[in-house]
Amino acid sequence: MVTVFLVRPSGKREEKKEKDPALEGNIASAAELQAGDRVVYPNQGVCRVAGLEQKDIAGQRLEFVKLTREEDGASVLVPLQKVPSIGLRRVASAEHIEGVFHYLGASYDDPELDWKVRHRDNVERLIAGGVLGVAEVVKGLHSLARLRPLPAKERELYDSSRHLLVSEISVSLGIPPSVAEDYVDYALMPPAGVKLPLKPPPKPVELKGPPWKRKKAAAEEEDDLGLSELGLDLGALEGEEAPESGESEAPEGAEGEREAPAAEAPAKPERPAKEKKAAAPRAKAHPKPSRKGPKRAPAPKRPHARTGKAKAGKAAKKPAKGKKK
Amino acid sequence: MIRIVTLAPFDEGDLAFLTRTLYRSFGVGTEHVGDRPLPKGAERPDGRFDALKLLDEVPPVRAFADDKVVYLTDVELSIPEGPLGEPPAWGFALQGGDRALVSTYRFAPRGVSEASIDVFRRRLARECTHFVGHLWDLHHCYDPRCAMHPSWSPSLSANPEHDLDAFCREKSERRIRLAKT
Repeated sequence: MVTVFLVRPSGKREEKKEKDPALEGNIASAAELQAGDRVVYPNQGVCRVAGLEQKDIAGQRLEFVKLTREEDGASVLVPLQKVPSIGLRRVASAEHIEGVFHYLGASYDDPELDWKVRHRDNVERLIAGGVLGVAEVVKGLHSLARLRPLPAKERELYDSSRHLLVSEISVSLGIPPSVAEDYVDYALMPPAGVKLPLKPPPKPVELKGPPWKRKKAAAEEEDDLGLSELGLDLGALEGEEAPESGESEAPEGAEGEREAPAAEAPAKPERPAKEKKAAAPRAKAHPKPSRKGPKRAPAPKRPHARTGKAKAGKAAKKPAKGKKK
Repeated sequence: MIRIVTLAPFDEGDLAFLTRTLYRSFGVGTEHVGDRPLPKGAERPDGRFDALKLLDEVPPVRAFADDKVVYLTDVELSIPEGPLGEPPAWGFALQGGDRALVSTYRFAPRGVSEASIDVFRRRLARECTHFVGHLWDLHHCYDPRCAMHPSWSPSLSANPEHDLDAFCREKSERRIRLAKT
């Protein structure tokens, strides 16, 4: 018998990214770099290329690009093959930075209230979104902070993304960082009575994150739809038994999901589905209390949905077992 | 150590309140080290002073590594104009550096009543905390109750708080602990 192992070459994903360059200024290969160049390493800030360096690691001779972070002089070694895939890019031009200010000064969008989606998007924007992506993270979290205080992790992310944005603007425009920060906040929260001379902002960054994540997100949405179909019946159930289920089913992660329908309900017609999604766990929790008491009246409503049928079937079998005993 | 240098006459009571507040905010010793003349070379044709140039030309003060020097003045400051205009300058600090400049030009008049003097002192303490915070590498904060909130923000109250919020306080404490001396 022959066993075949399928091994994906490690560079396959990188090749895909090379074919699909995310943004202008991205460095597609190490050959574009020269000693003394200023580049931006995502999540690290502005670095200066120091040169090439060879190192023996685990018996292999590897070649690295050596970068020196301008902020504190820390050294960063990037393997040559990894240069196209880590999101290394040139420092944004002054024109590009001006677009960023127009974006920051534009009116606020509704912040994403689902923390999972928000976190995933923010991380992707910081890595692959260029300077505009960083500005999007700052503005998104700033607009969220206007509604409620940020959780500790996001407060740190807000601070670090602000730091990255300020340092890149400072380098690009050749001004001190504190002046760059004043510019950023002047755009984000102009003084009373000041009207900013705004132009149409540049298009926000389209996220092209790892496809498996996107597929997963899409699958979750499909699940939502399925549950919402269920919810049509369970909503009625909830109306009858909601006071019994109480508040015990409020996990931390569900916070965003619970708030989303309230804030965005008028904007999107399919939002009620999210409400049903929030109601779904409650509905699942119903059978537990109902075992004790004779409250089985809603059972005939369930056969509309597949899962409902299954549960109703199980529920029907259990009392029969009890009778045998 | 935070060293305060005055480039204009200031009331001793105001300076005493300021040193106490800075000590409470950052937990490092604070003292008024004296007066220095205002460098006239930083004055612009419109009568305002270029904050960057002023901080560059101000006479030096003897200080140790990691000491922070705050210069107090009462002249109108300006910073370079940005893509969307010139933000109002309440001061200027070298981010993560050792020198900051604070101007009382935009404050409400000090007046002679106890209430107005108190408002003036609190505002002075707030602005100095803000710019010393920049010296400890703090960024602006979205919370209007924090001293690191931008000084011109419309959400800032008329008599704003002069304390740091929990995040900024922790960050500044971390920076101070990591300081060399």
